[in-house]
Parts: sequence; C-alpha cells; structure tokens
Amino acid sequence: MSSSDGGHGAHPGPHLAHHFETIEKQDYAVRLGMWLFLGTEVLLFAGLFLGYTVYRHFYYEAFHEASRHLDLWAGTTNTIVLITSSLSVALAYHAIKQNKTKTCAGLLIFTILCALAFLCIKGIEYHHKFEEGALPGVFYHFSEVTAPGANLYYTVYFLSTGLHAFHVIIGMSILIWILARVLKGEFSSNNYVPVELGGLYWHLVDLVWIFLFPLLYLI
Amino acid sequence: MAHEPAHTEAGKAEHHGHGAGRYWLVWAILLACTGLTVYTGHYHPNIAVALIIATFKASLVVLFFMHMTEAPGANRLVFSVSLVFTLVMMAGVFGDLLTRNPMSLPGAAPPSEFQPR
Repeated sequence: MSSSDGGHGAHPGPHLAHHFETIEKQDYAVRLGMWLFLGTEVLLFAGLFLGYTVYRHFYYEAFHEASRHLDLWAGTTNTIVLITSSLSVALAYHAIKQNKTKTCAGLLIFTILCALAFLCIKGIEYHHKFEEGALPGVFYHFSEVTAPGANLYYTVYFLSTGLHAFHVIIGMSILIWILARVLKGEFSSNNYVPVELGGLYWHLVDLVWIFLFPLLYLI
Repeated sequence: MAHEPAHTEAGKAEHHGHGAGRYWLVWAILLACTGLTVYTGHYHPNIAVALIIATFKASLVVLFFMHMTEAPGANRLVFSVSLVFTLVMMAGVFGDLLTRNPMSLPGAAPPSEFQPR
C-alpha cells in the first residue's frame, strides 16, 4: 500500500517517517499513492472489460443467451452484500474519526462477514457452473447454450469474476489486519489514515462489481 | 443487520465533517439503482441503460464513500486520468475493429470452427 507506513508504531499518534517534514505532508503523500494505485487497478480491470466488449460485439447472441444462464438471484444478492459492506466500511471510517473504537471494530467485523458471504455465494455459483460444464475454452461442454462464442463468454466470466474474487480476498485480509490494529487501540481521531486507505481499497472492489454485475448478468 | 444499534449511534454524532446520514442516503440510492438495473436488465435489456446506471452508481461510490469530493486536486487528477486512458484504450480498439475488412472478422470464418467441443 504505497508508503502508507504512517501510523505503524505502537504509540497513539501516527508515526512520522524520517523523510517527511510533517504529518500533513506524509498523509498527503500516502493518500496520493493510494489513489495512484487505485488508478492502476482501474486500468487492470479496464483491459478485461475491453476483452468482454470485443467478444460481445462478435458473439452478441451467444453472450445474451449465456448470460441468461447465470443465477440472477445470486448476482443481485451479491450486489446488495457488497454495497452494504461499502456502507459499513464508510461508517467504520466515520466512527474511528470520532474515537468510537468499538463501533469501528463492530462495523469492520460486519464488513468482513459481508466479504465472506460474497465469496460463499460466488463459490456456490462457480460450483453450479462446474457441474453444468459451463467452463472456459476447451473445457466447455454445456449443452444448453451451443451458439458459437458461448465458451468465450464463460472465459470472460471466470476471468473477470475470478480476478474480482481475488480482490475481495485481498480486501478482506487488509480489513482483518486493520481490525486487529483497531482492537489493539492503535487508531483514534488523530490516527486513522490506514482505516481510510483500507476502506478505499474495499470501495474499489465494490466499484468493479457495480460494472461486472449488469455486464455479465443482465445483457 | 446485527450492528444496527452501533449504526444509529454513529448517525447521531456529528462532531466534525458531515454526519453519517450522508452514507445511509448514498446506500439507499445505490440499492434503488440496483433494483432499477435488475428490472430494466431483466425485462428490457439495453446495454446503454445498464452502463448509465452503473456509471451513476460508481460515481456515487467514488464521490461520497471514497470522499473524492473532499480529496485534493492531485488525487482527483490521478484517478481521473486513469479513466481518460480507459476511454483512449476503448476508442483505439474500437476504431480498429469497426473499420476492419469484414472478411477478417471471426463471423466470416466457417462456423464449424467455432462449435464448442
């Protein structure tokens, strides 16, 4: 997470790295570094979205037909789960800024549970697709959609949702780490930047799903 | 939700900055938009409508959950530039695809080659 080492010390205030003159400058640099990283994440997913768009352009019918075989209920539930977890992580940031450590910890736990719920629902969906044979490339043997290009749809589906799920796992791990530090009492109203940055990463995970959901489930 | 009491507690206190009410409002709008996109997508699929709703939802998340409204100019610039380059990439690829000779497109090949195995 860039040079976000600000606040790693055991003291209540944030730790000032020796190459920064003031805490303000350090916080500014840390936040800028995080946004820069989020920018590269956007470009990473943009490449996948582009691949999706190109194949959808060529195999419009197959993509439409295949998308109707995804579980819309599971996708919608997962969207609601992620949006709600985005809310709780924003509220956790709000709480720590007001020194409400317990509220912040509770909200972080709720967010982590949401992340787990998302992964479980995704896992059930994947399991279903594996059983049906709706798999990428040469492994495709799903008998209900045989239009040319259907296997490409599932290639894009597994790549993009897989990469997204990987981000959910990373985001969840970061939030668990932040939760541990909140419980140790490391953060307060004058030391909350790590909570803020962990939250930013989590919102990005939500952001990507906001686009993945309609493009994969509702076309 | 298990943490309901904690939520309301945070909602009441508005010591500095804006209150937590803003986050709840954004959440409610995001849920409403999700309902809208599921409805339109299921009954009247239209990629443009889906993308407009998704862009609107994403903007709300970036502006309010991620506090872009309060971010300094440099952070806004860095993030916006990544969006601009996404558009440049899309424009470049589509400029190529849409102006190709039809014979070089996958649809022109014998369909037997594209049957799933």
